[in-house]
Amino acid sequence: MSETFTITIDQQPVTVTAGDSVLTAARKLGLDIPTLCYLEKCGPLHTCQVCLVKWNGKLVPSCGTKVAPGMVIESETGEVHEARRTALELLFSDHVGDCLSPCQRLCPLWLNIPAMLRQIEAGRLDEAITTVRAALPLPAVLGHLCHHPCEQGCRRGHWDDPAAIRNLEKFVTDQDFAKSEPHLPARQPATGRKIAIVGAGPTGLAAAYYLTRNGHAVTVLDRRAQPGGSLRDVPEDRLPAASLDAELTLLKRLGVEFQSKVELGGPMPLADLAQNFNAVLLAVGELKPGEGDALGVTLAGASIKADPHSCLTSMPKVFAAGSVVRAQKQLVRALAEGRAAAECMHRFLSGEPARRPEKPFSSLMGRLDPAEVRAFLLQAGHSGGRVSPCDACRGHTPAEAALESSRCLHCDCRSSGNCALQHYAQVYGADANRFRGERRPFEQQLQPGGIIFEPGKCILCGICVKLTELAREELGLTFIGRGFDVRLGAPFNHTIEDGLRRVAAECVKACPTGALVFKENLPPAPHAPPQSPPPSDSGDASTRPR
Amino acid sequence: MPIDLTFTDETVARIGRRPEALIPILQALQDHYGYLPEAALRRVCETTEITPAALTGVASFYDMFRHTPVGRHLLRVCVGTACHVAGANHIEDELRRRLHIPAGGDTDPDGLFTIERVACLGTCTLAPVVKFDQTTLGHVTVDSIEGRVREQVELAKRKSAAKSTEELLPHQNVPGQTEIHVGLGSCCMAKGSDQLFHALRESAALSGSQVIVKRVGCVGMCHRTPMVEVTSPGRPGVYYSDLTPAHATTLVQRYLRPRSLSQRARHWGTRLLDALLVDEVAGTGRIEQCAVGQRDPDLRAFFGKQQRIATEHFGRLDPLDLDEYLSHGGFAALARCLGKGNLGLATEMSIESLAGGPSSAALAPNAIIALLEQAGLRGRGGAGFPTGQKWRVTAAQSGDVKYVICNGDEGDPGAFMDRMILESFPFRVIEGLAIAAVAVGAREGVFYIRHEYPLAVKRVRRAIEQLEQRGWLGGGPADGFSLKLSVFEGAGAFVCGEETALIASIEGRRGMPALRPPFPAERGLWGCPTLINNVETLALVPWILRHGAAKFAAIGTAQSKGTKVFALAGKVRRGGLIEVPMGTTLREIVEEIGGGVGPGRRFKAVQIGGPSGGCVPARLADTPVDFESLGAVGAIMGSGGLVVLDDTSCMVDIARYFLQFTQDQSCGQCTFCRIGTKRMLDILDRLCTGKATRANLDELERLAAQVGAGSLCGLGKTAPNPVLTTLRYFRDEYEAHLAGHCPAGQCAALIHYTINTDCTGCTLCAQHCPVDAIPMTPYARHVIDDAKCTRCDTCRQVCPYDAVDVK
Repeated sequence: MSETFTITIDQQPVTVTAGDSVLTAARKLGLDIPTLCYLEKCGPLHTCQVCLVKWNGKLVPSCGTKVAPGMVIESETGEVHEARRTALELLFSDHVGDCLSPCQRLCPLWLNIPAMLRQIEAGRLDEAITTVRAALPLPAVLGHLCHHPCEQGCRRGHWDDPAAIRNLEKFVTDQDFAKSEPHLPARQPATGRKIAIVGAGPTGLAAAYYLTRNGHAVTVLDRRAQPGGSLRDVPEDRLPAASLDAELTLLKRLGVEFQSKVELGGPMPLADLAQNFNAVLLAVGELKPGEGDALGVTLAGASIKADPHSCLTSMPKVFAAGSVVRAQKQLVRALAEGRAAAECMHRFLSGEPARRPEKPFSSLMGRLDPAEVRAFLLQAGHSGGRVSPCDACRGHTPAEAALESSRCLHCDCRSSGNCALQHYAQVYGADANRFRGERRPFEQQLQPGGIIFEPGKCILCGICVKLTELAREELGLTFIGRGFDVRLGAPFNHTIEDGLRRVAAECVKACPTGALVFKENLPPAPHAPPQSPPPSDSGDASTRPR
Repeated sequence: MPIDLTFTDETVARIGRRPEALIPILQALQDHYGYLPEAALRRVCETTEITPAALTGVASFYDMFRHTPVGRHLLRVCVGTACHVAGANHIEDELRRRLHIPAGGDTDPDGLFTIERVACLGTCTLAPVVKFDQTTLGHVTVDSIEGRVREQVELAKRKSAAKSTEELLPHQNVPGQTEIHVGLGSCCMAKGSDQLFHALRESAALSGSQVIVKRVGCVGMCHRTPMVEVTSPGRPGVYYSDLTPAHATTLVQRYLRPRSLSQRARHWGTRLLDALLVDEVAGTGRIEQCAVGQRDPDLRAFFGKQQRIATEHFGRLDPLDLDEYLSHGGFAALARCLGKGNLGLATEMSIESLAGGPSSAALAPNAIIALLEQAGLRGRGGAGFPTGQKWRVTAAQSGDVKYVICNGDEGDPGAFMDRMILESFPFRVIEGLAIAAVAVGAREGVFYIRHEYPLAVKRVRRAIEQLEQRGWLGGGPADGFSLKLSVFEGAGAFVCGEETALIASIEGRRGMPALRPPFPAERGLWGCPTLINNVETLALVPWILRHGAAKFAAIGTAQSKGTKVFALAGKVRRGGLIEVPMGTTLREIVEEIGGGVGPGRRFKAVQIGGPSGGCVPARLADTPVDFESLGAVGAIMGSGGLVVLDDTSCMVDIARYFLQFTQDQSCGQCTFCRIGTKRMLDILDRLCTGKATRANLDELERLAAQVGAGSLCGLGKTAPNPVLTTLRYFRDEYEAHLAGHCPAGQCAALIHYTINTDCTGCTLCAQHCPVDAIPMTPYARHVIDDAKCTRCDTCRQVCPYDAVDVK
């Protein structure tokens, strides 16, 4: 039997077996030390250096450092975290590719637009509506009113016309509502927490949507006869009432309770509301001067004063968002404020400090040169300009929608959401631009067998090199060159696929980034990255690396 | 054109089919084909156990391997530290211009010339240096380089390649004879010592003289080579420096001892004639001005502070004369370790006396190690780890198979100590390695020597052959001692100086360092306990055993015992190879031994320790050279490269130079070193072109600390040192660069050449400008076209009136 002894990591003792790595020991303690180049089968490759820990005053990779009796290790400290973050930032400084497409980054609600387009193109509209509703509250309304900032960022627009994203989103929602039983988003188990939202306008409805999905019991109070707030004032030709009503019906099906013709103040003071509910959100829209005086919360001018980071007002448990805090001119931004408030409240109700959601991390490639755009165009199914529905039609036909969707360049990363590098960048708050400089040209090698190799995303972890070696591949893969110019490749200028006759699937699966993917891996399956918990934008601030 | 693969098959059959044969096979193929043809490489994979992935990885890792055919002549431009500060980049530019080598390519359209940059040729005192095929051209200038290359082309056409000095048999020692010692190290030969040597031998033979012309190793005073020392019995040695073959006859005749009166008369007659000669006649050049007496102040200053242990008997021993080595106490230390007579030495007498009598028993391994510990010997490779401790750990490992390795992969640009020791004292280093083998229980040893040192490789191989011929190495006598030594030529990778990378290289892999622990002493070559010591460390071992630990420990400082060999180069008047006691100050080295910087220049700093070291400013020149003191000022002892910098050296440029080097030499394995050094270099590039912001400078400092902390091996961990020390001592220069100004006038993007009113219109500058940036206007003040000007400095150097300003 192997010898066992105790070592100490961050003051916690842990019993280990001789021969264990420090990484194994840390995982026993439940510490999430990031790794990119570690795969048990390959043994420690110690190339990525993001699993650093401090031992004897020196930073060492935990994957390759063996435990020794009496060892004292520091892991979750500011210094160690800074080193890990720097390693991630250095990797991103030489990372050619965007995790998220510009359209998704520009969407205030971070809709995964490329995924939606791929689903429409493939005719998988049930998946497309899931994608849409995962991000958007009131998508039917947005389909009419959104000012679609996404389309401004669309890289296809640098070539001819941007993809008709807003209309395609509308298409997906319309198709769904046309069904006898439209899609109902999943809800988390009930938390037993009660929330009152005052104001049934865009911000309030959005907050209600997200909070209900998080398992909270939401009651929306509004002084009007019908919920909808300012959306009720939009003319029918711009927003058909039927679209709004369909969304309200869906909210009710989700479990949101509406109380109309209820005015805050008088018989129902805010303080009482705060007492009867676990949390209250004020989303009553713009206040006229004097209107808010009696509420009992601190004002700034006519508006309610709310902390920009937590949405909290001066009254405990009471949050405020939307135009009541700052006038919102764009619908989608008002909805995004509702989501921010919902996130703050959800964290608050989970016993964490109230905080807005983190912007999703993304590596940034910046502008593409024409040659790079052409490389992306190879992926697009349709080489022509925008496909518009006929004037008489109410929207795209499924065939038109599929064709228009196929104009997407898929400039997002196929591994987004399934990428250890992206995941830890988010967790560690890495700045992808810290070492911004000249970047290598974007390159994508489409292999006949369905593998896509993007050299610019390879972090030279060495896992695939090792796997081909272990499998005794006839050609295999190797590091080529030295220094900053080291590249992954197959011998004698063979293709990557030639080097992966036996272990292609294993290598694609083990690749910690989006360097090696299968083309048909569309859309990226939203599951956990290798050996790490799923990316979360509701992480606990206290466990967040400093 | 199809490649004839017969040679490939023969090579494989000769070298072997195991994975570790890879690098020697590639070296042989490159030697034969001039590059690595893919057909040959595929054939190697088909006929050996070497996989295509391993081959591709290795062939693309090492500098020496080429993948495209080479031109008829190979020009290797040294870009080592000393060459860099002497303007190597301008030399390369000029060569490319004159030889029509396109940007981005390395060979001219006619396939005549291929140009390559070499990290360091280790002939730093001749900087800047270009190697034309096998010939080293020293002290080249933008102005002279084309002519010197063309001259070599003509010589090559006439096939008058210089005669080798390596095939010579050692001369017969005749007591009481006058000897002329000719230094034949690589640097000496680059300055024509080999031609001088042959001329002297011919003159001696013609005159029937009894003067013996003897090949010796490095003479140390590289700045005065070709240099000879004449020794006559009962008289002090006389040096002659800066000689040419033209001096040969005169020199031989001077020391000819004519027997008869008539001969004597003829001799005096010749000398009289010689004195009257004004013009140099072939072989009879005047040598009076070349004579350097023992009381010569230059000589006294250079040698005064030096103490020779690793380089004992320097300039006196024929590197390949085994009997001479034995007669100077050689192998006595090894014999002592083995007990008397084990080697069956021919010169047993002297060994017995040194080893303490005929009955002395073998020194136990423990006792050998204890001696080194008492001596306080620390590794001379850079880090100064206690040698005895390293030996003890290796000795303590169980297992039958152990290895000893001599690390001769001296990669620091600006360093050539190990090359000189290997070239001059191959037997001494072999003896040191053999003692190590005895002490740790190894029966196999490897000399890892970089291929850029062909003479060192050749001499060590010849020395091993001689020892094998005498039966002392190789087979192994019945009574226990057996040691098999081999030479492994590096293939051009600085990182292979790191011991785990060096092992990977011997095993036929990419030279990528492994995580330590385990240390090689526990798991090294082929997974066996392995002792790796630097050349100089091993060269010190026999001395310690012969003279005792106390005598060694009496030299040096409290923590750093003994002496240290330095390669003194850069902006210093007397460059050369020196050995000084630990604790000697930098000032003593630079100002007394080196004679200070050139006339009119200001001593600014010393770069010590190469890419892992730092720049010590002149105001800290009283820092003693010992491991602790140098560490305290942010530098390291390093392997011994010492490049002196003056006020024309830009410290930001120096930092950039070293980052360029480490970035290029990084194995590319770990994130911090591969990308971190590159990002540091990006910022330094911006600084040197006046594009950096203060935020960049702050980031440089932050990143430097993180690269140092987060890198896997010593290369990355120490790579920021040149940046950190220059930031520490020369922040004002960084500040100046932020403001778009280079105080030393080196950063091309930040300086401008103009001609002032002192110009007489002599047209010299216009004649010499390599890019025709100065229109020829006789008798009128000249003007430099700033757009055309490449800042090569030629005009300033040729101007007799100091009329060229750099601002």
